[in-house]
Amino acid sequence: MKRRSFVKKSALVSGGLLLAGNSFAKTSFAQQKKIKVTILHTNDTHSNIEPLPANHSKFPNMGGISKRFEVIRAIRQEQEHVLLLDAGDIFQGTPYFNKYKGTLEMKLMSELGYDAATMGNHDFDAGLGGFFMASEHAKFPFLCANYDFSNTILKDKTKPYTIFKKGKYSIGVFGIGIELDGLVPASKFEQTIYLNPIKVANEVASFLKKEGCDVVICLSHLGFEYQTDKVSDRILAAQTSNIDIILGGHTHTFIEKPTEVNNSEGKPVLINQVGWGGLHLGRIDIEISTEKTLFRKQQHVKVI
Amino acid sequence: MHKFFILIIIGAGLLACSSVSNISLHSSLVKIDQAYSPNSRLDSLILPFKDSLAKEMNIVIGTSPINFITARPYGTMNNWFADAIFVNQTFNVRLSEPVMCLFNVGGIRSSFNKGSITVGDVFKVMPFDNELVWVKLPISAINSIETYLLKSGGEPIANANLVQGKLQLNGINSQTKFFWVITSDYLMNGGDKMDFFKQKIEVNFTNKLLRSALLEEVKKQAVLKVDSTVRVTF
Repeated sequence: MKRRSFVKKSALVSGGLLLAGNSFAKTSFAQQKKIKVTILHTNDTHSNIEPLPANHSKFPNMGGISKRFEVIRAIRQEQEHVLLLDAGDIFQGTPYFNKYKGTLEMKLMSELGYDAATMGNHDFDAGLGGFFMASEHAKFPFLCANYDFSNTILKDKTKPYTIFKKGKYSIGVFGIGIELDGLVPASKFEQTIYLNPIKVANEVASFLKKEGCDVVICLSHLGFEYQTDKVSDRILAAQTSNIDIILGGHTHTFIEKPTEVNNSEGKPVLINQVGWGGLHLGRIDIEISTEKTLFRKQQHVKVI
Repeated sequence: MHKFFILIIIGAGLLACSSVSNISLHSSLVKIDQAYSPNSRLDSLILPFKDSLAKEMNIVIGTSPINFITARPYGTMNNWFADAIFVNQTFNVRLSEPVMCLFNVGGIRSSFNKGSITVGDVFKVMPFDNELVWVKLPISAINSIETYLLKSGGEPIANANLVQGKLQLNGINSQTKFFWVITSDYLMNGGDKMDFFKQKIEVNFTNKLLRSALLEEVKKQAVLKVDSTVRVTF
């Protein structure tokens, strides 16, 4: 919903309540209930099925998809509304990928209950055909808004966005990928057409807000930031509107605390990325206050 | 009266809005470490894949005396990687023209840790099925390689040094018109924007994967050679 229309509707309702001369509006504030949606996210897991070895120089024994399963299971027990997302580069990095061509990664992510993922550049490493075969084992959608696969085997295999209903609320999620030319051999991406990430992100995010999404999340594999003017999550955040959260990948950036960047309308966008290898799980708890819903309901009751 | 009405309505609306924020975000990070136990059902799902893979991957083929470091402008892993390929490719070849190795930091996907080195460790360093190629370039391409290295901040090289931004090839003299770069098919084809390979005059395909060469060299060295020479300065 656009902020402007929200203001207008709220105004009508609260104004009406004032005129009615009772204290209902005030008590509703006091009794406000917040709905929490817990977003869990990973990026650049790179076929790390097992924990890192005990002699790893930086992260001994960390990670492992089985432990991640337990972490997520525990959170699901506490939280009613959970969304589990991945920002790409699921493939490549351990011999599991060389031997099983990504099928095991997809099977296990489905076991963990992933709700959606986007494609990273390494998810092209088995070629489009290889990705097609592996993704047959995925029980979650791949969201790619700025790769046009219509002339490839992946036609209709991915979608630009999806909308999740969590309680009364809608969470819109879409995926933005990195330019493949120069990063991925042309033989691996074939006739994939790369679309301008900023333009597409603006269009999709605006569409999702118009569809009534309370929160819009972009799964991005652009990378957190660069020293050049190469498009990154920071640039994406600054040059678009209607995105609330960017969950990034590609640069393997480990962000202790998510970064806030103001968008083209001056509103804050939260950017997060959690390193690589499934060593960490990012968690963002979104609290959506019920006042908004109250106002929405009230607008049907014509108090004026 | 009607006007007054509207004023009240708008005023109240702004008040309601400014006092209520409809979305608030709270973030935290879960470190997946030994504090958590694995899930037995998932482990049993992974087990057959793991066992079958382990038979191939857990074979110890060498030892590393240090924790190797991949870094820019240079690092012990950069040097080991480029040297291993150089030795593997040139040990029984008489070089009539200068030959250097050039790879990319981004392509070294993991570093060797101190201790045993397994087949699996080499797969982690070089998981891609890239082929080794010899690319013949005109001597004039040196400038574009220098420009590239300056921009990237340094890449793994062997049998050459970048001294204060100038590429110095071993075996070069005033008569030299061409030189060879041993690299991967990925980089030769423009990967990591190494556009200077477009100037190629000739390519020798080796039909050998980079990873196969690295596996051979780990086995040959048994204890990995450590070379911490500074090869790249600007």
